[in-house]
Amino acid sequence: MKKFLSIVLASVCALSLVACGSSAKGGSANGADSIPDTMTSKDGTYEIAFVTDVGQLKDKSFNQGTWDGVKTYANGANLSYKYYQPANGAEATDDDRYDAMKAACEGGAKVVVCAGFMQGAALEKAAAEFPDVKFVFIDGWSLGLDNVAGIAFQEEQCGYFAGYAVVKEGYDKLGFCGGGGGTNDACCRYGYGYLQGANAAAAEMGKTVEVNYSWQYGSSFQASPELQSMASGWYENGTQVIFACGGSMFDSITAAASANDAYVIGVDVDQSGDSDTVITSALKQIGNAAQWAIGKAYDGTWTEIGNNCSVLGAANDATGLPTDTWMLKNYTVEEYKKQLDDVINGKIEIDNTSYYDDTITGVNFSNLVLNYQ
Amino acid sequence: MTYLVQQTLLYAIPLMIVALAGVFAERSGIINLALEGIMIFGAFMGVLFVRMMQSTYWIEYASSHKGYGTMQLLEILTMLFAGLCGAIFSLLLSFASINLKADQTIGGTALNMMAPAFVLFFIRIIANQNTLQMLSGDSASMFMIKKTTLGFSKNDDLGFLGNTFLHKVYLATYLCIIIYVVLSVILYKTKFGLRLRSCGENPQAADSLGINVYKMRYTGTTISGALAGMGGFVYSMTTANCTSNGDVAGFGFLALAVMIFGNWKPLNIAGASILFGLFKCIAAGYSSIDINGDGIYLLADIGVSAHLYRMLPYVITLLVLAFTSKNSRAPKAEGIPYDKGKR
Repeated sequence: MKKFLSIVLASVCALSLVACGSSAKGGSANGADSIPDTMTSKDGTYEIAFVTDVGQLKDKSFNQGTWDGVKTYANGANLSYKYYQPANGAEATDDDRYDAMKAACEGGAKVVVCAGFMQGAALEKAAAEFPDVKFVFIDGWSLGLDNVAGIAFQEEQCGYFAGYAVVKEGYDKLGFCGGGGGTNDACCRYGYGYLQGANAAAAEMGKTVEVNYSWQYGSSFQASPELQSMASGWYENGTQVIFACGGSMFDSITAAASANDAYVIGVDVDQSGDSDTVITSALKQIGNAAQWAIGKAYDGTWTEIGNNCSVLGAANDATGLPTDTWMLKNYTVEEYKKQLDDVINGKIEIDNTSYYDDTITGVNFSNLVLNYQ
Repeated sequence: MTYLVQQTLLYAIPLMIVALAGVFAERSGIINLALEGIMIFGAFMGVLFVRMMQSTYWIEYASSHKGYGTMQLLEILTMLFAGLCGAIFSLLLSFASINLKADQTIGGTALNMMAPAFVLFFIRIIANQNTLQMLSGDSASMFMIKKTTLGFSKNDDLGFLGNTFLHKVYLATYLCIIIYVVLSVILYKTKFGLRLRSCGENPQAADSLGINVYKMRYTGTTISGALAGMGGFVYSMTTANCTSNGDVAGFGFLALAVMIFGNWKPLNIAGASILFGLFKCIAAGYSSIDINGDGIYLLADIGVSAHLYRMLPYVITLLVLAFTSKNSRAPKAEGIPYDKGKR
């Protein structure tokens, strides 16, 4: 019998090993995908570190987009790099995040890129403890420390472009599924901008647009069967496009969309390569921003961004829509370019003050019917 | 209504097949608490199999040429593979509880704890993260059967039955129903089924009539493992977009509850799993449920908090078990290691 058990165990192990063998395969058109996620440095220290937000490293969105930028810079400059995922996954605490940053610093990091506003408290502690290490705080703010550079984006702009574009395209039943349960500033700004954009386009076209607006099932930015069921239900009842605003939630929503032959708006990075249902993506150049900030740490111009918060938007070419890959037909690139210019030179003003859920309910959208869920 | 029926089936089918897995083990006298663990393992192996097949020539060809037949074949193969892996995994439980006469609940719990750890360990190595996904695409576009798959055009109306049971469905759903019926008949109407059940009621008597109790119990648990593994993959394919993350949302335990509620009888279990599936569907999609098609979404309009709907499946489980467990009749000899010398 012992022999039998050992055969069983051996076969289980063998199957799993076969599994590992295939790991190197795959990868899409994105250039950063060809740079490996893990590398081994000669002396065992890693100069450029990345600490992830909640959610997966390969979320095809926020984490992955930032990580691609970090990898690309490090690879180009021939520096060692490594990513750190705070322990306990979606339930990670400030201590877990601090531990990840500490591990990065003790592992020889000179620049640590931290993604996500939730890193704030941990970052304050870590940055004070390691004053010689430079920290880039994506989706962050100024912490009053010389070695921390906050980078924030005007997400309401790309949300606005996306909402405007799909309504102009001719859709009039939209959806929005946001991550972070309505407490993530970036997602809230995306959603608020999206509503304003849809409203502006609807007003121009003189029609009324219905929007389902939900923060359910995405508080940890994960895909879930429940989210897939909910999105399926929306599509079933006529919703044509859902803005999937939150990391891996994208997977659940695209699954529902392709079951119903409907469309999805991607977020943070150009997600058109990940699913045929992506009609366009609300883009913010997190990868470029990460590269830009790391570059400042190496070329001696860190003081320009340290102890400060750089807010990037359309004027910095940091927010927008990817026109090369979008599937829009009635809304043209020229119209988009014109609108982009109008936003940059201030002709179109996009409000970014009352983006939280409870304040949005107080905003009057002239041409929208909003279903908060 | 179509939405309600389809979503209910999506949740009910894995529950049903895994609850039947529990029946096969318990009817042979082994408590299979490891259902959750085996599901997790089966889901992982299934997703891995799909992922590996996706990079082979014939699947790549089929996805670029809309080869729906090939995809359905892949779906069946993957179900078989996940079942095989589940069966192998369950042998650990059989060995511990039949040969070593270990406590079955502890053995099952050990597997439940081991499966997610094992699975996550390998997902980390393969994918550098906590979730294993398909290489490309999503499960709906690969495996789902739609009107267009069956040769109808997009605008054809197939009537209520056609729209519900031929459009936006998975082959796995129907396969599972067939397997369920066939195995239930085997359990109740064949010599083998009778022998298996006798080992769960009075193994000494069965042994005195020349039935090899150890062999029967091994068979029961192995069938159980295969069904649970397959159920795990079906769950992951139909509801979780063919991903594996060391978690099946407690469906293994829910299946145990369904089995007890269904009093270890196939027909009752089918009813119970549809009940739980219905409440799962209400919990997730209450705002889109329109029962008679008049455009009024009753559940959303009542104004009850979404959290209440989300609690429903679990509250119902508690209530139902509290009221029915008095009448439940478990196989008499389950949980007791069979010892030839003992009378």
